[in-house]
Amino acid sequence: MNRGEDEFARTIVQRLDESAARLDAGTHARLVAARTAALARYPGAPALGLAGNVRVFVELHLFGARIAAVVTALMIATASVVYWQSAAPNGDLADLEISLLTDELPINAYLDKGFDSWLKRSPR
Amino acid sequence: MRWGAPCGLPDQPPVPRRAIPLATQKELSDFLAEVERRAYKQALFSVRDDHLALDIVQDAMLKLTESYAGRPPGELPLLFQRILQNTIRDFFRRQKVRALWTSPLSSLFGSGADEDADPLESLEVADDSRFSEPPSEQAERSQVLAFIEKALERLPARQRQAFLLRYWEELDVAAVASIMGCSEGSVKTHCSRATHALSVMLGKQGIKL
Repeated sequence: MNRGEDEFARTIVQRLDESAARLDAGTHARLVAARTAALARYPGAPALGLAGNVRVFVELHLFGARIAAVVTALMIATASVVYWQSAAPNGDLADLEISLLTDELPINAYLDKGFDSWLKRSPR
Repeated sequence: MRWGAPCGLPDQPPVPRRAIPLATQKELSDFLAEVERRAYKQALFSVRDDHLALDIVQDAMLKLTESYAGRPPGELPLLFQRILQNTIRDFFRRQKVRALWTSPLSSLFGSGADEDADPLESLEVADDSRFSEPPSEQAERSQVLAFIEKALERLPARQRQAFLLRYWEELDVAAVASIMGCSEGSVKTHCSRATHALSVMLGKQGIKL
């Protein structure tokens, strides 16, 4: 790097310093807040104020709530699986459905109470 | 005034850690206060978004405090710059992963941005009345600053990184090479090319510093 390049670079840097000094108040405030938050993590830093303690309290409980939500979701999923398995038609019901569907009589005949009485009276 | 002397040189003789005073909270605070504006600008030149730049700086500060608070104050500049550059790089890596999912959608709807537009041709003059110089000079000064920043944004990332670390952060070539993970010769080449490119870009706009 020659001297001319160095001088040009330093001129650029002077303008950059000027630009950095012109940061708007909002951006500077956020930088200060970031610095404060970082320094709060310094080992042995003074305990956080009320706001900080509330934040830590909320964060801890949110973590516990997340764990509880995951466990609850797993339990619901397990219960659902058990329920659907138990609700599935058993062998007797399957046989009844098959006999209804393959019988010569229409299904509506079985809904007729009179037909039902006749079936009970008639010998098979 | 820049913080501290060149540090992190690999050929320095090892000093027993007990003999080196570690950075106090006050020293760490003073260092962060001195570097935060430049760190924000560095991040802004790379990511071109105010909020992201602030998030990056905050992350870097937190990492420095949490991981390296117990280091000597002379090591803080090199450590912080390394953390800052890694945090910026992590941002681009995440963006690349995100782009894998969003690029099919953007190809359907189109980007709408004029990628051939020269940003230097459409800069607006910032309103700044804090200085006592005449308004016309204020406007010209603001415009020059804006052009310089835009020119830096347009530099290739490695050239910009080398230039800012070498000249703005005043780190020596060895320290810059250590941060960038390249040779000292590469650092000098990047700096030289960056300086030349900035000179050309500003010259095209008729700006003479």
